Amino acid sequence: MVEFNDVSVTYSSGVDALNHVTLKINDGDFAFVVGSSGAGKSTLIKLILKEIDATEGTVTVNGFNLKKLKRRKIPNLRRTLGIVFQDFRLIPTMTVYENVAFVLRVIDAPKKYIKSRVPYVISLVGLAHKAKAYPEELSGGEQQRVALARALVNDPQLIIADEPTGNIDPALSYEIVELLKGINECGTTILMVTHEHDIVRHFGGRIININAGSIAFDETIGGANEAQ
Amino acid sequence: MKLSSINYLVGKGISSVWKNKMMSFASFCIMLVSLLMVGLSVLASININKIISGIEGKNEVIVIVKDGTSDEAITALESSIKEIKNVDTVSFYSREEAWKSMIDDMSKEEKELFQYAEGDNPLPDTYKVSVKNIEKMADTTNRMSTLEGVESVKASNEFADVLISVRNIFSVIALAVIAALIIVCLVIISNTTRTSVFARRKEINIMKYVGATNKFIKIPFQIEGTIVGLIAAVAAFVLTMFVYRGAANLIQDNYQILTILGVDSLYSFRDIIIPVGIAYLIAGAVIGAIGTTISTSKYVKV
Repeated sequence: MVEFNDVSVTYSSGVDALNHVTLKINDGDFAFVVGSSGAGKSTLIKLILKEIDATEGTVTVNGFNLKKLKRRKIPNLRRTLGIVFQDFRLIPTMTVYENVAFVLRVIDAPKKYIKSRVPYVISLVGLAHKAKAYPEELSGGEQQRVALARALVNDPQLIIADEPTGNIDPALSYEIVELLKGINECGTTILMVTHEHDIVRHFGGRIININAGSIAFDETIGGANEAQ
Repeated sequence: MKLSSINYLVGKGISSVWKNKMMSFASFCIMLVSLLMVGLSVLASININKIISGIEGKNEVIVIVKDGTSDEAITALESSIKEIKNVDTVSFYSREEAWKSMIDDMSKEEKELFQYAEGDNPLPDTYKVSVKNIEKMADTTNRMSTLEGVESVKASNEFADVLISVRNIFSVIALAVIAALIIVCLVIISNTTRTSVFARRKEINIMKYVGATNKFIKIPFQIEGTIVGLIAAVAAFVLTMFVYRGAANLIQDNYQILTILGVDSLYSFRDIIIPVGIAYLIAGAVIGAIGTTISTSKYVKV
């Protein structure tokens, strides 16, 4: 669960990125965060990851009060999250298998568990045959699916997808969101930042529109795919 | 941390050396040069210290025994001298030996002149005493002069003072040079490894996002730095061996002054092979680990 309570962020440059935002994303939700460039979407993500601290208000993520969370405990917070970036951010010197397994190694998971869990998650995203490939040998869509597998392998409570379709073909974009939807149906909360309105209209669901650092719109709408 | 994680991190550190071979090679070269500079400076310093100590050792104290002292009293005096803590060696030089030595050094004419005067040998019995610590020379001579049967004690305190000053000044200069070299090396090494870490900052960033602790991120880098440091240490050791042997031979062949001064030759490399080897390995490993720790710290903070 993510809860923003009257949160404001002012950067050292004096820019007000968020103004008194109050927001709650419940467990099991699938929410799109939309808004123009500079609206405050990235600031919202940075707050959830505790990359930055709120200037005012409190942020709670998966039971962690981020205001009180000490720096050395940040890894504990991030282990409850799965993150998918627009630019994939896979480790180029690691194979697909190693990239995914790395997350479990970080949390000291047993070797046996890693050996069974990683191939399972890689097969969920349809890349079992590419497990030994390096990121540079994969297409953009495939790389994003690896990133998704990496976000998923730790069975996180919340997956944050920051423009996950921004660097891939439109056709593959739908595939990625379908995968995220499937993960959400299994109970994982998904927060997807996007500026692709077609995708939002197609899938529908909860839409949070941020404009000039404030929540301009927070409603649930029906998707085009549901109407079909 | 579990054993499997430790194995993983160690394996990752080892494989990174090869995967980032260009950067590893750059770090290796810098570490090799740094270790050589520090190592050779230390070796030069300990050898100069040895030469000074050798000269100090030759600075003997002559204890003149009172004329008419009995043989028992002379033997007792030797024990008393040996009981003084700063005394290293004591050797007796009888008045007869002194006379003979003096005659031997004379010309033929002088010998003829003095050969009948032996019965009137005016020379005293003496003890030649070497001290352990030249800085306590004055105190030691004072104590010896109060002993039973001692006529007087002759020592060149001025020479001792000069030697002490030379050694002190040299020690300060050597320490300052070595400390400066170590600092310069650490800065250069941490900058070199920083380049290597900078090239992998994205990797570090990803690790932070998936919840890796600082320790988990740093360990492979530190192992990588340590391995490169150890390889550089081995290379530096081998090079030092050749350079040292060559330099020692050159000095001993060309600078007969060492022999004239009666100073033992420089340390032979065989005598110092183990401490030099261990020192290089420790220095290489520590510098490699510290260098990477300094350079990774900046990028670990996300």
